Amino acid sequence: MGWIRDTKYDRYRRKGVVVLASFIISFVVLDTLVGAVFQNGLERYYGLNDNAPLALLGHSHLMLGIDKVMLEQELGVKVAKYTSEGVNVADRKMMADYLLQKDKALKTLIYGVDAWMFTGEGLSENSHVLFYPFMDDDAVGEFIKEKASPSEFWSKKLIKSTRYNEGLIASAMRGYLQKWDNLKWGKINVEKLRLDIAQGNYRAIKNEADNIKILRETIKMLKKEDVKIILLYIPTIDLVNEIQNKEFLESIGIFRELEAEYDNVEFLNLLEPFSHQHELFFDPIHLNPQGQKLVTEDLIKVLKAKRDGEK
Amino acid sequence: MLFNSWSFIAFFIVVLILHFALAHKWRIYLLLVASYFFYMSWKWEFGFLMLIVSLINFYAGHKINVGKQRRWWLALGLSTSLLPLLYYKYGNFLLDTFSQVSSAVGIEASFPELKVILPVGISFFTFQAMSYSIDIYRKKINAEPSPVKFLTFVAFFPQLVAGPIERSNHIIPQFDKVKRFQLDEFLAGMRLFIWGLFKKVVIADRLALYVDRIYDNPEIYSSATLTVATLFFAFQIYCDFSGYSDMAIGTARILGFRLMQNFNLPYLANSISDFWKRWHISLSTWFGDYLYIPMGGNRVPYLRWVFNIFVVFLVSGFWHGANWTFIVWGGLHAIYYIFENWGDQFLKWSNKLYLKKSHLYHIFKIITVFLAVCLAWIFFRASSLEEAVFISSKIIFFESGQLSMGPSAVTFVLSIALIMFLVVVQLLQYYKIASLYFTKSRVPAVLQFSGYLLLLLSIGLFGMSSNAFIYFQF
Repeated sequence: MGWIRDTKYDRYRRKGVVVLASFIISFVVLDTLVGAVFQNGLERYYGLNDNAPLALLGHSHLMLGIDKVMLEQELGVKVAKYTSEGVNVADRKMMADYLLQKDKALKTLIYGVDAWMFTGEGLSENSHVLFYPFMDDDAVGEFIKEKASPSEFWSKKLIKSTRYNEGLIASAMRGYLQKWDNLKWGKINVEKLRLDIAQGNYRAIKNEADNIKILRETIKMLKKEDVKIILLYIPTIDLVNEIQNKEFLESIGIFRELEAEYDNVEFLNLLEPFSHQHELFFDPIHLNPQGQKLVTEDLIKVLKAKRDGEK
Repeated sequence: MLFNSWSFIAFFIVVLILHFALAHKWRIYLLLVASYFFYMSWKWEFGFLMLIVSLINFYAGHKINVGKQRRWWLALGLSTSLLPLLYYKYGNFLLDTFSQVSSAVGIEASFPELKVILPVGISFFTFQAMSYSIDIYRKKINAEPSPVKFLTFVAFFPQLVAGPIERSNHIIPQFDKVKRFQLDEFLAGMRLFIWGLFKKVVIADRLALYVDRIYDNPEIYSSATLTVATLFFAFQIYCDFSGYSDMAIGTARILGFRLMQNFNLPYLANSISDFWKRWHISLSTWFGDYLYIPMGGNRVPYLRWVFNIFVVFLVSGFWHGANWTFIVWGGLHAIYYIFENWGDQFLKWSNKLYLKKSHLYHIFKIITVFLAVCLAWIFFRASSLEEAVFISSKIIFFESGQLSMGPSAVTFVLSIALIMFLVVVQLLQYYKIASLYFTKSRVPAVLQFSGYLLLLLSIGLFGMSSNAFIYFQF
């Protein structure tokens, strides 16, 4: 009767193989689907598929500094806001490249700048994780390959759902819900800040040549595509601006040099009259909603004046 | 090499293929080499330490088996096995305690700090090797003639670094059994591995973000925040350790080996004694068999029994770490145990034993045991006794204050949702609807299929990459 047992076993084994194969196929399908849904949500959140003529690009400083919805309403144009927390100058170059590919109508890029942007220390060293969702793009893929370990790179490449973290998933959901606000409520504790500064707890300004070079490369890349660049200085609180006054002015000088050097670059300094108004800040470099509103209004005035001037 | 790493997956695929491709007689060598490779990939030097501990017990086991000077050989085997553990794990603690005691009696004695790295899983493989010598001494087993099998038993990679702590008479006979690849064993092992991985990388590592932040600076947080952090820690340590055990048992199952169950829904225990039958079962039974029973267990006068309970729990606490916090943690459990016994005696005395059958009493006990266990976890997690006392008193004498959401509100909300999900699954397992380890599930096959699919997807989406398992340090 051995053959009966064998047949039963074969049938059982066949069923097991079918279950396992179905599981793997279902997983691949589900993973691809989830990856596509989240990627689409993220692109909506950043406005990458909106063919916006105006785009904002930077890190949390710009993210909390400008209200995209207000800009769109007042200027009557679509605005892409491609900002991520902790991105450094190299990340931003890659973001600009990706933006150029996605946004074919791009005419003007507002690039967030600050005195600390050429300082390597202090920004996220693993900020490349923010770009995993877009790693199927060749340039983004190469960028990530340089920064991630091979096992990390290939696991993200093969399993799309692993490309997301909670922050990215939340952003993708916000993309679908059309929630564009980036607000941090509260006011900076100025006394504590003074104490921190006195104790030397602050981020120093170091204008590193490599990072300045990367910004130049970004400008050249955008110029090639005939995109105008506004280097926008969102206010940072006067107390930190004054710590290293020489280096701070040196940073501002670099932006002015770039403005003079490239005809597609303009430096827009909104430091004043806001940097002394401490009640507008959430922390030394981030504006609170009240500050965001005032600075956005100022930016709108400038952009409207430019538009009118061009007419 | 961690279970939740790609290097382990690659390693395991190779071992799995070779294991079933090789003839039976060669498989034991493969497992031995793979196990040492697994351990030495972390720090190769410590592979030799494990080899020495194993060889000492192997040799002592043979000498004990021969029958001459059995007691001496046992003492020699156990003491030499414990020496590395004492040096690496307890050296600094013992020197520090000695210095403090000396200065208390007016003698100044200070020692330089020992610059040592604790070998991963040293407490686990030492206890596993020691149990072998003791079992031979007790004539429960005969000495294993094959050194290869014994070395493989001590180093068996699925359970090497964090248990379950196995016994030789359970594992070594399995090396002799000819195994062929069984798809149902493979699927059962995979299911448990996925569930363990989910508990580890999705739940435990996420809860750790909150817990670590709060416990790193407890003085700046409110009572509500400290309470939440402690509750989170209860689930973190459970998911971390039981997740590892699940992955270990699942991995072994795929290879055709059966390891003992290490957890059985501990937070649904309705007494402290029940909790210890459900939490880290392999360690509880180890202490039961090799410490509690030899001291007389509960067949001794009452005060001696109380003494036995305290010894077992204090040693258990000390096993977990060289810090007074762990000893107090063990002591607290001993106190709970004694109090619980008094409660039972009171019910008996007042003729109210019928209460124990009530559903409400059962739920009340589950909740009180859980809260008591959580209170003890504060001592387990805190970095010092002062800190543990501060946190526990701030929780007990509750003061109103703002609840901190930790690093991110999204993470906080997700953490709570995951704990609720875990509780629901555990209740389904408790009522024998969902499978617990390898029990039969009453959940329809399609739902099981979809459930594991979603678990795997959640691991991809929400999995975090932590570099450590809490129990590796023990």
